[in-house]
Amino acid sequence: MAIRTFAAIDIGSYELQLKIFEVSKSRGIREVDSMVHRIELGTDTYRTGKITSRHVAEVKRTLLDFRRVMNVYGARDYKAYGTSAFREMQNASVVLEQIELETGIHIDILSNSEQRFLDYKSIASKGELFNQVIEKDSAIVDFGGGSIQISLFNKDRLVTTQNLRLGVLRIHEQIHSLDAASTAVAPLISELVNAQILPFARLYLKDRTIRNIILVDDYLCALMQQRGISNLSMTEFSELMQRIHVYNRQNLARMLGVRDDNIPLIFISAVMLSRIAEVMKAENIYISGVTLCDGIVYEFAEKQKILPPSHDFEGDIIACAQNISKRYKGSPERSRTLESICLKIFDATKKIHGLSHREELLLRIAAILHDCGRYISMVNLAQCAYDIIMATEIIGLSHKEREIVANVVRYNHEPFVYYEQRAGIVGNSYASGTSISGISREDYLVIAKLTAILRIANGLDRSHRQKFENIRVQVKDSELEILVRTDQDITLEKGMFGKRAAFFEEIYGIHPVIRKKNPKRQTKSEL
Amino acid sequence: MKAKSEKTKPERGRDFYLNPAFYQNRELSWLQFNRRCLMEARRKETPLFEKLKFLSITSSNLDEFFMVRVASLQDMVNADYNKPDLAGMTPGRQLEAILEAAHEFVQLQYSTYNRSLLPALKEEGLEIVQSVEELSEGEKEFLDRYYETDIYPVLTPMAVDSSRPFPLILNKTLNLGALLRRKGQDTGLLGRGKKGKKKKAAEGLEFATVQVPSVLPRFILLPGEGAPVRIILLEDVIRQHMPLLFTGYDVICVDTFRIMRNADLSIDEDEAEDLLVEIEKQLKKRQRGQAIRLEADSDMDKRLLKLLKENLNLADSEVFSIDGPLDLTFLMKVYGLPGFDHLKEHGYERPQEVPELPAGCDLFAQIRKGDIFLHHPYQSFQPVVDFVAAAAEDPDTLAIKQTLYRVSGNSPIVRSLSRAAENGKQVTVLVELKARFDEENNIGWARMLERAGCHVIYGLVGLKTHSKITLVVRREEDGIRRYVHLATGNYNDSTAKLYTDVGLLTCRETYGEDATAVFNMLSGYSEPRAWNCLSLAPLWLKDRLLYLIGRERDNALNGETARIRAKMNSLCDPDIISALYEASAAGVKIDLIVRGICCLRVGIPEVSENITVRSIVGNFLEHSRIFCFENAGIPQVYAASADWMPRNLDRRVEIMFPLEEPSIAEKAIHILDLELADTEQASILQPDGSYERVDRRGKESVNSQKIFGEEARRAAEQKKENALRTRVFIPETSEGHEE
Repeated sequence: MAIRTFAAIDIGSYELQLKIFEVSKSRGIREVDSMVHRIELGTDTYRTGKITSRHVAEVKRTLLDFRRVMNVYGARDYKAYGTSAFREMQNASVVLEQIELETGIHIDILSNSEQRFLDYKSIASKGELFNQVIEKDSAIVDFGGGSIQISLFNKDRLVTTQNLRLGVLRIHEQIHSLDAASTAVAPLISELVNAQILPFARLYLKDRTIRNIILVDDYLCALMQQRGISNLSMTEFSELMQRIHVYNRQNLARMLGVRDDNIPLIFISAVMLSRIAEVMKAENIYISGVTLCDGIVYEFAEKQKILPPSHDFEGDIIACAQNISKRYKGSPERSRTLESICLKIFDATKKIHGLSHREELLLRIAAILHDCGRYISMVNLAQCAYDIIMATEIIGLSHKEREIVANVVRYNHEPFVYYEQRAGIVGNSYASGTSISGISREDYLVIAKLTAILRIANGLDRSHRQKFENIRVQVKDSELEILVRTDQDITLEKGMFGKRAAFFEEIYGIHPVIRKKNPKRQTKSEL
Repeated sequence: MKAKSEKTKPERGRDFYLNPAFYQNRELSWLQFNRRCLMEARRKETPLFEKLKFLSITSSNLDEFFMVRVASLQDMVNADYNKPDLAGMTPGRQLEAILEAAHEFVQLQYSTYNRSLLPALKEEGLEIVQSVEELSEGEKEFLDRYYETDIYPVLTPMAVDSSRPFPLILNKTLNLGALLRRKGQDTGLLGRGKKGKKKKAAEGLEFATVQVPSVLPRFILLPGEGAPVRIILLEDVIRQHMPLLFTGYDVICVDTFRIMRNADLSIDEDEAEDLLVEIEKQLKKRQRGQAIRLEADSDMDKRLLKLLKENLNLADSEVFSIDGPLDLTFLMKVYGLPGFDHLKEHGYERPQEVPELPAGCDLFAQIRKGDIFLHHPYQSFQPVVDFVAAAAEDPDTLAIKQTLYRVSGNSPIVRSLSRAAENGKQVTVLVELKARFDEENNIGWARMLERAGCHVIYGLVGLKTHSKITLVVRREEDGIRRYVHLATGNYNDSTAKLYTDVGLLTCRETYGEDATAVFNMLSGYSEPRAWNCLSLAPLWLKDRLLYLIGRERDNALNGETARIRAKMNSLCDPDIISALYEASAAGVKIDLIVRGICCLRVGIPEVSENITVRSIVGNFLEHSRIFCFENAGIPQVYAASADWMPRNLDRRVEIMFPLEEPSIAEKAIHILDLELADTEQASILQPDGSYERVDRRGKESVNSQKIFGEEARRAAEQKKENALRTRVFIPETSEGHEE
């Protein structure tokens, strides 16, 4: 029986966690060890943008210890991720290199959306309960050190996901600096939460009621799990809040049976959750009991094809993109048409472009969001679309992937700027938030390839009237032959096609052509 | 559905049950325990040499009690700390009561020694020579030679005069004090000058002292063949030869004395945190090394006694007049004299083989078949030693983790751990350096383990790690498997032959996960999100116990069967006791087996009428902690390293583990039930705080320790018989035959 031992490392803003897992087809994922070391890296980076040398040394020591444990279990496969503390670190690359040199552990930094997506995957991997909960109006409230992610579900589909800068450690820092009286701490936290949760509610909740909250956090969940609680009603949660409403570290530690250094984070999480649940009018809180490490191993098992996907996560990413499109008044029909044409071209040209399934997903998202810029400006829609996409989190996409999507949408509307050109203009017109750094030449090639496809697809529906009943795409004799069936006039589409075809040919080396066929007359039997 | 009980839930708050009148002072309760040990030395059924052992134990117990508990109380008094204890007694009041009880106790000890044991020993052919007059000429000559060759070279006499200060008398050492007069000096009244005014004793007489060397045996076997065997105590030989030490002086008197000092600079962990703070603040006030007890010959010269009292700054109540040899721990050595086996206890079986673990078996394979329960000393401790040894040599073992509190001098477990590290296993050992009186020993072998490549954790700041747990991580065909040993007793192969303890060997996933989390916590990593089955002190154990007791209370109120059977060494946690009172008041039947301190009082109307407490003092030291909660007919049984004491529940790392396998839970319940039925070694706590032996009239004699031994022997024999019966003879083939 092939069993792989895998180590997942999460370098979070207030703790470092190592989990050792065994992964096999027959037994699935089995956790065999878990270690958590408290270290408030977030306190450094949220305040100064840097991590102190004392903390760097402590991280190295802990990772060396982790390495030792990994060796004991013979865990050759591992993945180590840094999250919000590293994201906000100005000297991250220097620190990461130092750490890797000394410990041999390579750390990747997760974007917020990737991180939340992994959390989300780990919850979904728990199976039935997740599926039952999300059938009704539900939200995943994911507490991190630097921010909270709220993801709303409706009928087992992700509606939206938003990141609020209300991290537990961030709030802790703010409260600490205010030196508030113990009775004033809870109202202060509520006030800080209100400032962000109320606008969120106005925009996304409107009249909706969220019945179930699935909680993802490190401290409240632990507290509940210690008591064997996997879910609790709002009445039960309110009773708990009554008991702990005054912030007294020692008393609370004794009352809750936890170490007193955990109390500030438990207290802040509890007050924040209480306020969020109140605004959402939630009825139940479900304790997820998962950590980022669970998501990391799930992703590993999925990628290695050791485990089949337990949920249609791609569907969630698409649903999320569709909701963003809806918010910016995009046309769902046109998006569907574009998406469909894009996929046909993508499939037909697979041997030529050599792109993966992941890039296909990015193309679909670009197609869905192709017109979101129009919400801001009908003239400057390329830049506006780019800005919207870059400012909106799409769960499951890394920062780089979002950048690819944003650029594909942008160059669908305006002349393509080549990598060399683009590199030369950094600091000028693209300086604000559009730095080329982080996008490699290879990534840029992906942008070009996807842009070429989207442009062709866009050209085929220039009139926005979805004129073609059926489209077939094939590569034939160095041509990309697009066979369309329609009885409508397609002069516009044909006329506008030339310019787009030239770009496609430049990128792929084959010439796209449109060939029209009249629709088949329906036979009696078909009627 | 069962009918609801007529009882209504008592509307009493926790404060009601914390009434000091409901509690016994823990020190006085401990003295009661020592008295029960002494009673074993007075029982006619106890074989003569076993009586010596019990008397010796009471003597060493009392020493430790003074050094730790009385010293702590003395600290409190010095620091003006007047907070009353659970029973409402201030430290000053406790000291008074302890000294009064201790005096009475010592009198009883020596009356036992003089009136009962000495004559009986003589009758059996063992004479402890008490004065030189009893020696023959040949014996005198032998002792003179022995003095010259062996004793004299290691003696360091110290004299006091105006130029030399009073010498430092070391804690717990046995000494001879003498008053000397320079030869030819006026022999007038001691301490009076020419004008008849009082003078310091030293002016007339000089004080000298000599420590009885601890490097020599406490008693000397006098030459002679056959009966009677005659021995003489070392101090008596030195006393006889004192004039040789102080030539030029007349020895006016020589008497033995021994002092106990408040020399322990660490505060006893049993004390409250606020006391520790107070003591720290008042450290200057504390008189380090202050004498807290003086034991002196009962016929000590009054002048000598006065001099010692004045110089050691002791009150009359702190002076113990001893009618016999000081420090009776030498009796344990007498117990070891050859030729007296017929005067020892023989009704107890030797440790037996554990049926599930026959010699030479594959331990891991056996554990995989199911949980294995160990009951020491009736069953051998060897499987535990073998468990670590097997893991050390096993190629599939990846890691061994263990907590060590007290280990034996030449511990095979420590050797195996070193070997494992040398074999490339990851070995993590938590060595508790703070184990009282074992600190130096612990540091020694902890360093040895470190040199061998083990990862040694030297205890936790502010907490003593008292839990007994071993984790072996193996890579097996179907993945990582963890083997866990949990126990109520230390990893000490020597004490495992004398202490009753229970242990569990298991490879259940839930135990493995929890054990991994325990070691991660002990290595400085955070607590796990949740525990599967283990309850750990100081964070969760007390809550868990309170929950379990509270559940019985609720069950009683709801008309369900509600009962608690529990066995431990000491019971003095106020939260637990008040919960037990509340449960008893609700109708829960509570039967406790508490070997030592018990601050709970029985027989308080409407409070503890449903509680019985018994103490078993027997051939083996009762040490296991087993708790059984009736749980409305589905009993839940636990074993633990912790007593129900604040120090265990609040200031130590302790583990309580469930015995989930029904057959094992039954075995544990059998232990409780048999001890609750014991008629031979049990004493029953009375409402006035005293203990009375079980009234045996009309009852079948039950000696639980003997029965456990017999049961273990029968089980081992049965297993062997079964093995023989099912044996398959395998013919030898030429392939396997080597010339």
